[in-house]
Amino acid sequence: MTVVARTWQRLTIPGRVLLALLVVGALLTVPLVLLIVFSDELLAIVGANLPIVRFVVAATAILLMTIPTAFVIIYIEMKGIALMNLRIGPDRVGPFGSLLSVVHGLKVLMKEDFTPTGADPTVFTWAPVVVYLASVMSLLVIPFAPGLFGQDMNIALLYFFAVGGLTVVGLLMAGWSSFNKYSLLGGLRSAAQVISYEIPLTLSVVGLLILAGTMSLNQLVLNQSGWFTNWYVFQQPLGALIFFIAATAEANRTPFDLTEADSEIVAGFATEYSGMRFGFFFFAEYVNVFIISALTVTLFFGGWNSPFPMPDIRLALDPGSLGIGLLLVIALVPLIGTLLFAAPFWLLRSSMPSWQALVLGFIVFNIVAVTLVLGWAFISFDWVAGLIWFMVKTYGFVFLFVWMRGTLPRVRIDQLMGFAWKWMLPASLLNLFVTAAAVIVVGALRGGR
Amino acid sequence: MTVTRNLLPPHASADDPRITLDEEVGGIFENVPPYPPRTEREAEFYTLGDGEMFINMGPQHPSTHGVLRVVLKLDGEKVVDLDPVLGYLHRGVEKLCENADYHQVISQVDPLEYVSSLFCEWSPVMAFEQLLDVEVPRRAEYIRVLSAELNRIASHALFAGWMALDLGGLTPILWSFIERDEIVEMLASLTGQRMLFNYFRIGGVNGDLNHDFMSRLGDWMSRAVKQIDNDTGLLNENEIFVRRMRGLGVLDRDTALRMCATGPNLRATGVPFDVRRAHPYSIYPEIDFDIPTRTEGDCLARYLLRMDEVKQSLRIIDQCLHQMPDGPIMAKLPRLLRPRPGRAYASIEGPRGQYATYAISDGTDQPFRMRIHDPSFIHLQMVGLLTPGNLVADTMAIMASLDPIMGGVDK
Repeated sequence: MTVVARTWQRLTIPGRVLLALLVVGALLTVPLVLLIVFSDELLAIVGANLPIVRFVVAATAILLMTIPTAFVIIYIEMKGIALMNLRIGPDRVGPFGSLLSVVHGLKVLMKEDFTPTGADPTVFTWAPVVVYLASVMSLLVIPFAPGLFGQDMNIALLYFFAVGGLTVVGLLMAGWSSFNKYSLLGGLRSAAQVISYEIPLTLSVVGLLILAGTMSLNQLVLNQSGWFTNWYVFQQPLGALIFFIAATAEANRTPFDLTEADSEIVAGFATEYSGMRFGFFFFAEYVNVFIISALTVTLFFGGWNSPFPMPDIRLALDPGSLGIGLLLVIALVPLIGTLLFAAPFWLLRSSMPSWQALVLGFIVFNIVAVTLVLGWAFISFDWVAGLIWFMVKTYGFVFLFVWMRGTLPRVRIDQLMGFAWKWMLPASLLNLFVTAAAVIVVGALRGGR
Repeated sequence: MTVTRNLLPPHASADDPRITLDEEVGGIFENVPPYPPRTEREAEFYTLGDGEMFINMGPQHPSTHGVLRVVLKLDGEKVVDLDPVLGYLHRGVEKLCENADYHQVISQVDPLEYVSSLFCEWSPVMAFEQLLDVEVPRRAEYIRVLSAELNRIASHALFAGWMALDLGGLTPILWSFIERDEIVEMLASLTGQRMLFNYFRIGGVNGDLNHDFMSRLGDWMSRAVKQIDNDTGLLNENEIFVRRMRGLGVLDRDTALRMCATGPNLRATGVPFDVRRAHPYSIYPEIDFDIPTRTEGDCLARYLLRMDEVKQSLRIIDQCLHQMPDGPIMAKLPRLLRPRPGRAYASIEGPRGQYATYAISDGTDQPFRMRIHDPSFIHLQMVGLLTPGNLVADTMAIMASLDPIMGGVDK
């Protein structure tokens, strides 16, 4: 061991990096070789278990998707609230400060991870994991685009509510194990709040289920295709409103952010958390914002459907048919495009140095090219169009959450509970009864049953 | 109580200094307070009933407006009792004043209520002028009223923002800080400082109105009403805000009078007491303004009353600008002030209530005794009356609506 240690000591830092990479490469070679040797068998296994493989890939992709999603939403919130406050907001890291949330994420990673004396270390450690996993697991059933979803369940909505209810367990764990009275108050508040609002949340979609006759989110989205008047929000306006309000409370967002009310109970359940454990809570909150926006869109606003029937245009472009000419296109098109777009700058502004004109031309060419490619993809591929529509709507709702946070103060805990039990619950029951009665009456009129 | 041992970290030994007390009682909790009770009230307060717990708010809590510490006795979310612990910002200003000469006192009293420094300067300066029998030039009085009313608006702007922040609203504080910043900038061009102005002098003021100040003031006055309406609209028309504030922390007229409340907190209970009208000083008798009152006495009334006061302050500023006379801004005084032995009392109406100074002179160049009466201290005492029975979240709302500034409370 000493020999290895001494050799390691003598190496410079690049040497250490190189050595580490070599070791990693050597270790990776073995599975790679195995993969190549047994490729036929592996392919056969994959083919036989395609649903499982698909599930694993989808779960990994969703898990990886959450982090950038949280970064984007945190940036939107920082910048959006700053603009509402008439501040400038983040403007240092990246274009318009857009990388600030990434830097925050890195900072959180590097901070000390502190466990207070008296805390229950096991529960304290696992609480953020539970909260984060609950959010990520809910994302699994959301259809992002035609054919782009984690898992198509026939009870997707039920699964969503079941998994979403897990969050409160994590928050309670955090509140209890922190050994801090502020955390305890926050945890208990979240338990009371989330459990109370789960009832109107679930009841508000029952009317929708009666109309749709399915719990599969994919089927629900397909039901809403065509013109935007087919969206369920026009048949269930009250249900949509109740769902949105209850979902806000479920995600602990303003004006229902009592669990982490900074002016009352410092930071609620997260008071004692630092470092990446706090980061998990923080990310989970923003992933939750994305999830409830996405679910509102899926249930009531047509999911990935466009608001109007898309014209059925297909541009028959097959890059493969060009053969060796494809290489020529790849090499020449940027060159010609840059020159083409640089020409007006160069000709019209003779004072501009030619390199500046070229750079500008390159930028303009890129913008045009990306727009063209995206437009082509938008027209040609259903899933691209669906994803774009879905994201546009979802981020619209994300912005609504940010807007609410910038505008509204916080409600009090008794007002919160009173609102859930005295207003939301009767309203959702009313919605349910009216929908059921309407379905029966319309059915009787149409079918004469 | 055998569970306490399990709460300890596994590595904690019996002689761990953190474990100071009997395990049967508290385990690794320290006794609160760590000394035996000194008064009956303390003994009663620090005895926990069934299902109650203490929670220590402050001095570093985000919303205790400075370094106030409040020990809350909670039953669930409900506040059963509370005990404000003061003194974290005590600087002994009164004693410092007794060891400073009369001119230096002004800079010592400046940071008392640091959001409205001009009022802290005004009452000692008035008391010393009484001791010295000085006639303050009229232009100086007008400038004093003008700058002080600007400072009142700045203070009330801060109040509204803080109050909204304590209720969870993020935007109002930044919007009101726009107003405050404009006012503070223009006062900076008049006095040289943004916060601790050190502007009033015995017998006048430090500098005359200058072009920078007047242009900033004129610019701001032309859009102040619209801008303030815009800012307060975010709160006044907010259902959540109004529902939380209405009927909360109701202070009735008799209690307010018994507790010696002054200022907006008293006027919100229906008593039209304003030092500017009750005991007129400076040039206020020549100026036309109303004393807004409200009868509800709750947090919403206190908030709205301050917003009404801002409008009256704008009226006063407008009249000051129209009536501003020419003349000197300082009375003729010797360098070294040695007032005749005697005592003087001067009170003024600040943004929080009645500031008063009682000064005794023994004929030397330093005050023999200076007593500063600060409204924040009086109003903070009412937190203990108004809060019990409400929720934790309401503690912040009530405290914010009474608007105490810890610099003035602890002196």
